[in-house]
Amino acid sequence: MNYGELLKLLAPESILALTLLLVLGADATFLSGRAPGLRRAVAASLTVAGCMGAIYWIFFFPIHGHLFSGVLVVDPLTQVTKQVLLLLTAATALLTLETAFTPHVGEYFGLQLLATLGFLFMVSSEDILTIFVALELASLSLYMLASFAKGNLASAEAGLKYFLYGGLASAFLLFGFSLLYGLTGETLLAKIAAKITTTPRDPLLVVAISMVLTGLGFKIAAVPFQLWAPDVYEGAPTPSAALIASGSKLASFFLLEKMMTIGLSSAVGSGAFHALAAGWVPMLAMLAGLSLIVGNLTALAQTSVKRLLAYSAIAHAGYALLGVIANSSQGFVALLFYVMTYGFTVLGAFGVVAVVERQTGSDRLEAFAGLSRRSPVLAGVLFVCLLSLAGIPPLAGFFGKFYLFAAILRAGAPSLGILWLVILAIALSAVSLFYYLQVLKQAFVREAPLELPFSVKPSTQLVLILLALCVILFGCAPDLLVSKLLLALKAAAPGLVF
Amino acid sequence: MIGLSHYLALSAILFSLGLLGVLVRRSLLVVYMSLELMLNAANLALVAFSRFNQNLDGQVVVFFIITVAAAEVAVGLALIVALFRLRQTTHIEDLNTLNH
Repeated sequence: MNYGELLKLLAPESILALTLLLVLGADATFLSGRAPGLRRAVAASLTVAGCMGAIYWIFFFPIHGHLFSGVLVVDPLTQVTKQVLLLLTAATALLTLETAFTPHVGEYFGLQLLATLGFLFMVSSEDILTIFVALELASLSLYMLASFAKGNLASAEAGLKYFLYGGLASAFLLFGFSLLYGLTGETLLAKIAAKITTTPRDPLLVVAISMVLTGLGFKIAAVPFQLWAPDVYEGAPTPSAALIASGSKLASFFLLEKMMTIGLSSAVGSGAFHALAAGWVPMLAMLAGLSLIVGNLTALAQTSVKRLLAYSAIAHAGYALLGVIANSSQGFVALLFYVMTYGFTVLGAFGVVAVVERQTGSDRLEAFAGLSRRSPVLAGVLFVCLLSLAGIPPLAGFFGKFYLFAAILRAGAPSLGILWLVILAIALSAVSLFYYLQVLKQAFVREAPLELPFSVKPSTQLVLILLALCVILFGCAPDLLVSKLLLALKAAAPGLVF
Repeated sequence: MIGLSHYLALSAILFSLGLLGVLVRRSLLVVYMSLELMLNAANLALVAFSRFNQNLDGQVVVFFIITVAAAEVAVGLALIVALFRLRQTTHIEDLNTLNH
């Protein structure tokens, strides 16, 4: 392994790091003292150019390999996921133009890029050391992004809460990792799995698995580790919340799936109601069930739309966990399809919230009144995104849920023991329609006292329309993405196809 | 003779003390110190396992954890200072703007 090869494997990450330096440098030198609008425009264009450059590189120079026998893995599946992550960041950067909460423009966009760099490494890591470092790179950047509106008490508080809960979670994760290392003497996930099969089941292993799940459960905001999510989504600047909800979710779920199916593949257990067996499947089944119930039912009572989206994100973490529980390649593909389309959808919803918040100064339900007359485009995007989140065909959210249910039913086919979870998920997705329609009712039926049209930046309109089109496209032709993911999974490490 | 189990017991005690501190103490700075204690409990376990498993991977991991923890200190203290400037408090019960 020489440095040339290393650089080739890490070209997208290097492009992103160079962009980061460029954004900071440009903002600190010839743009200092200029109008904030211009600085934001330049920083956002550079960010988007960097992300697009990295996507272009992955697309036209496909290269695969394992570095140091798997410390860093670059295969077709990680590359597809990285492209989606980069798209999500580019869209977030463009939506940031709609807000003006900070004079520190270069740093804000720089941190977005740094967080994305962390996501990319999370996707590529299969060793507990690199997983930890990548996770911390992403987390530390996200803590700062959440508290970036320094003069705003809500933002400072959101960042601090995110930090405290996050620190607790990474301590748990680390202790779990240290136990895994102690039990097996290995740090590579694949080798850990191989050692676990040969040793008899140890109570310490159960402790290690629960601690790892605590740490990762925090990242995906699954109940009972969700306490930070509503406060952070509500208090953080909207683009930061959007990145936490989309990119961070996708990277964390990818990491969780790898951790479970590679690292702990020999401690699966069973989540069937009549044959519970110790392992990570019953633990995750419990997290999923609780997330579905708590997320969907608490969302019913919310009056702040960002908070509502937070509880809906908790519920969606519950749905996505079904894909991990299925523990099959079909489940993996269903999970990725679901989380990717969820990222696009929630980014669209947050984009609309950002505009409404800027124009009315509030993200309460009442602030959305008369949206369909004040800005038909925004209302249309909100309509598509929220109905997709609720799972209405023919939008992407419907097929996402459909694939998840199909994957988990097929995985438990002989006994259908996991059916209880599927029934719960379907019943609660009917409940979820109620709170999404509450928002849409405000936007389309209620009248605002003073219905002045919103002024929306052309770039924001373009991004939002593209996101909504993606949601419709992947709803009408889900095969476009699913077949790509399946091919990538088959071409990836054969150990992943099961 | 001090063996692996002694180190693990100490590490578990440190971790529990840290967790207790996070849950019980009311000052942000003390909570923050307790978090660091939990990280160091994991470090101790890693070093002990590394010593008794006769392989160096664990010690390498510890060096990275120490570095990351230092970065975390920088971010964490900055966040506490940012809050202090707005609220003149480092009390955890004053983090209540966002509770509805």
